[in-house]
Amino acid sequence: MKPNRHSLALLGWAAAVVTSTLVHEPAVLAAALLGVLLLSGRGRWALATRTLKAVAAVVLLISLGYVGMGWLGGTLDTAVLLRLNLRLLLIAMLTAWMLRDVPLITALSGLPSAQRWLVIVQAQVALFRRLAEDYRLARRSRSTVAPTLRQRYLGAGSLTLAALDKAVHNAETVTQAMRARGALDD
Amino acid sequence: MHIPDGLLSPQTFIPAFAIAAPAWWWASRRARRQLDDALLPRLAVFTAFAFLLSTLMLPLPGGTSGHALGLALLTLCFGVPLAFLAYTLVLVLQALTLGAGGLTALPVNALCMGLVGALVVAGVYRGLGGLHAATAVVLATWLSVMLSATLVALVLGVQPLIARDADGAPLFFPFGPAVTLPAILLPHAVLATAEAALTLLVWRHARRRQWLARVA
Repeated sequence: MKPNRHSLALLGWAAAVVTSTLVHEPAVLAAALLGVLLLSGRGRWALATRTLKAVAAVVLLISLGYVGMGWLGGTLDTAVLLRLNLRLLLIAMLTAWMLRDVPLITALSGLPSAQRWLVIVQAQVALFRRLAEDYRLARRSRSTVAPTLRQRYLGAGSLTLAALDKAVHNAETVTQAMRARGALDD
Repeated sequence: MHIPDGLLSPQTFIPAFAIAAPAWWWASRRARRQLDDALLPRLAVFTAFAFLLSTLMLPLPGGTSGHALGLALLTLCFGVPLAFLAYTLVLVLQALTLGAGGLTALPVNALCMGLVGALVVAGVYRGLGGLHAATAVVLATWLSVMLSATLVALVLGVQPLIARDADGAPLFFPFGPAVTLPAILLPHAVLATAEAALTLLVWRHARRRQWLARVA
């Protein structure tokens, strides 16, 4: 793998995530979280907001469950709660930072196979999303009333099958074009 | 149903990497022999489809999330090795593009859902497909989701037993199997039914289109 700045950043993210599972002291985890917040540069508060939105549901469910059970059983340990929340927040913040600043395609430039798979699957995901949006807009433009639940299910089923047909056709065309240009010869 | 980063101890994810690595190697070798220009585009489409299904997540109290997998479809269309590899790619993409799941949880998620799930689908379909194919697809999907969910619940549930501090307090996920099993399995019983219906719909379409090049 030929490392570039983004490949190194991706490796750094992986190392930081693994390291955060080896640290159990809440004060150290809090300091690391503060460090990430400071080092992430401009837009750090937007990053922190995105992180909170991403992990809020999981963190709240686990924390409320732990507080409820600990309170009922008389075994509530605030260090456990702090450690869990800080570790989850730290890893989520590291990941959000990586997602914001590391272009994955460039980071994987030393791994052509991984890069190719990433591009192919991302293209298919984009195509599925575009087809779903087209269908939603087409349905809205032709309906004066909101569809019933049954109509929604039937519509979703038809859309899934139509989207698969279009996506397979598109992917076959792209693969043939790539093969014709020698992109799949390695 | 995949587990996010930060809930699993190194005592769990390091051995899981050691088990997953040879499984990925085996699957890659099989995939290289199996993949051709006809199969590659279809695999990309079904992988993207599984990725989209997995992004519609509902957080569950047991420390994980509920969503459709798309793994049964991958297995029925491409066989166990390609389904396992494709689902691993889905998990990697989710970790790297959405921040869902994660790096340390990757081998556990891949083994519980990608490998065990695919083996269950293939086994049940092989066993019952000759009797009634549609019933076999529904059963295979439902059982694979439930078995994968059970494994995920057990892996999470053992965390307070294997990773504790000097006072006995949990260092990672704090609930035992008595909490994780019902919290994860009950919602997944419903989700698995929905996934079985979706799988049957797409599997019938795929059979009509003759996309089932490598039926499990």
